[in-house]
Amino acid sequence: MSRGRVLVAMSGGVDSSVAAALLHADGYEVIGATMKLTCHGDELPDRPCCSLDSVNDARRVCERLGAPHYVLNLESAFSRDVVRDFAEEYARGRTPIPCVRCNTFTKFRDLARKAAALDCDFVATGHYAQLHDGALHRGLDPAKDQSYFLWGLERAILSRLLLPVGGRTKAETRATARALDLVVVADKPESQDICFVPDGDHVAVVRRELGADAPALQRGPFVDRDGRVLGEHDGFARFTIGQRRGVPGGFPEPMFVIAIHPDTRAVVLGPRDALLGRGIVALGMNWLLEVALEQPLPAIAPGQSLVCYDGTRVLGGGVIEAGLAAA
Amino acid sequence: MRPAPIYLDHAATTPVREEVLAAMTPYFSVRFGNPSSSHRVGREARAAFDEARERIAACLGAHADEIVFTSGGTESDNLAILGTWRVLRTRGRDVVVTAPTEHKAVLEVAHHVADEGGTERLLDVDDEGRVRPEALDAALDARVAVCAVMWINNETGVVQDVPAITERVKAAGALMHTDAVQAFGKLPIDLRTLPVDLLAMSGHKLGGPKGIGALFVRRGTPLAPLLHGGAQDRGRRPGTENVAAAIGLAVAAERALAERAHEWARLEALRDALQRTVLARVPDAVVHSAGAPRAPHILNLSVPGTDSESLLMALDLAGICASGGSACQSGSVGTSHVLAAMGVSRELAAGAVRLSLGALTTDDDVTRVGEVFPALVEKARRLAGAVSA
Repeated sequence: MSRGRVLVAMSGGVDSSVAAALLHADGYEVIGATMKLTCHGDELPDRPCCSLDSVNDARRVCERLGAPHYVLNLESAFSRDVVRDFAEEYARGRTPIPCVRCNTFTKFRDLARKAAALDCDFVATGHYAQLHDGALHRGLDPAKDQSYFLWGLERAILSRLLLPVGGRTKAETRATARALDLVVVADKPESQDICFVPDGDHVAVVRRELGADAPALQRGPFVDRDGRVLGEHDGFARFTIGQRRGVPGGFPEPMFVIAIHPDTRAVVLGPRDALLGRGIVALGMNWLLEVALEQPLPAIAPGQSLVCYDGTRVLGGGVIEAGLAAA
Repeated sequence: MRPAPIYLDHAATTPVREEVLAAMTPYFSVRFGNPSSSHRVGREARAAFDEARERIAACLGAHADEIVFTSGGTESDNLAILGTWRVLRTRGRDVVVTAPTEHKAVLEVAHHVADEGGTERLLDVDDEGRVRPEALDAALDARVAVCAVMWINNETGVVQDVPAITERVKAAGALMHTDAVQAFGKLPIDLRTLPVDLLAMSGHKLGGPKGIGALFVRRGTPLAPLLHGGAQDRGRRPGTENVAAAIGLAVAAERALAERAHEWARLEALRDALQRTVLARVPDAVVHSAGAPRAPHILNLSVPGTDSESLLMALDLAGICASGGSACQSGSVGTSHVLAAMGVSRELAAGAVRLSLGALTTDDDVTRVGEVFPALVEKARRLAGAVSA
């Protein structure tokens, strides 16, 4: 007898493929789904995920399992909730993490809704994170932990969520793939940077979404903490808090980006100690909290995530709004 | 075990008929010859291949030398339009006229003509997807090389008035091409009385194998080949002939024509019954092209407030194979360009489902789908309502 019907989000990579295979072996009725997030007619070359080949790989794995597989067109929602927001965050002088929004909105809202429509009891992914008694915890493999990207899930989904590879190491996952003869995915390279950002060039995405004449891409001043102009940059969207690359030299000590002011297009530079913050203000759909830090932390970038753990357990998180300057 | 699926996607492809498979089988093994070889084994293959060409010609009222074998409908459409346009553009006719509701194998070729320096003119269609005669008249002039209008639309089943369109196109001195991929074997076609210049067919839509199609090219029609490298088929289509598949196409066409009238009536009755049942339970469902003559095997309908992607998945999980507007390369469901051209709203087009009947379809299938489809629709709407509430 089936242990229930589960919709497995399959990228075509080794982790989600093994997740599907493990659930199948455990007696779940598996339905594979690959989210189509970008247009395949305008393919990014050599992407390990999100590509047409990846759709085909996921389909082949499902065929091996005797499981149905569907491609879900979430392109317009992804474009709105993730890609557009990514560009707009840079235009606000912030540093977004699109993977958090993709999980919060695209995977665990839009995909989960499809799952409900298909009478699925569960939703599963190949994330390296674990669930214990309905609580979300870090993945077992500290080098692969992805719980950080999952803080935005609605609590209600946790009881329907399955994370079959979270209790394994990446090496074990690859070994399982080979043992199950999932040769198409077993030795795939790791997907590293952001799936819709070609060659890590986030400025290209900002330009495409907001236009080449967007203020974030226009020239502006480098200034110090007192507002003195130190030079000129060609677009504050190219900078993030803590960045040194692209910052002018010739100062007594190395200078870093310590703030970005979109209204004046100013990128504020300061020495390393100016990066330290003694606290964090975070806002977000689940949380509004101020976290006091025992030790000041460097480079607190608005737009990044604050994720709170109790031991391995993920308590929740929020989007960083501001760092509180060290006293 | 899951029961065998109910297959309602005959407009996508059909199973190879047993007699077709039997006729093809010797030509994969004992009669494996290359028709271009002069020896006995080659001659045997040549004779069989030529006979297949004659048999297809006979199905159409054409001469054998007017049939060019291709790899399928897409190649036939490409050869028909590009092959004639590339000759006629040198004679001052550089325009390709077609409709926005055509199969991509025609529409993309027309776009390509524009990329190669020609001109494409797209004809306005009415709410049912039929070419407007006044739009056709406005588009036809002495610059038009070829006009392409498909006989039966693969998404909606609407039947274009190809004889009337052909008459206008010929009067303008242009060539007339029709994509008859869905029509061949369904409509009576007599090329002795219908003066189209080019007509595209495909094997796998009528019980033949995939990978074979044909193009009728009327004697005297100028045609530049798309492929180069051999003298096969008078140089119109070089490459070693697909002997077995050509025989398969011939047998499939003959069988389809023999059963044509009976099968038309049978499918029409089934389709109408299915349509009635669905409309009785989902009264606001919209049947596309319902106000025009339609092929009997296609039922394309939209249910307001649902999306095709979810409905098709739910149907598949219930053991019913259907399809949406147009399948994207990835297998995801896109919005139909055909329905968009007919003026169907984006919301309605996003919920379109095509059920296409054929040889496999039985009374029981239709009864079952008539129960399952409305139930899935009602559920999809409950969920959609819960979400928007």
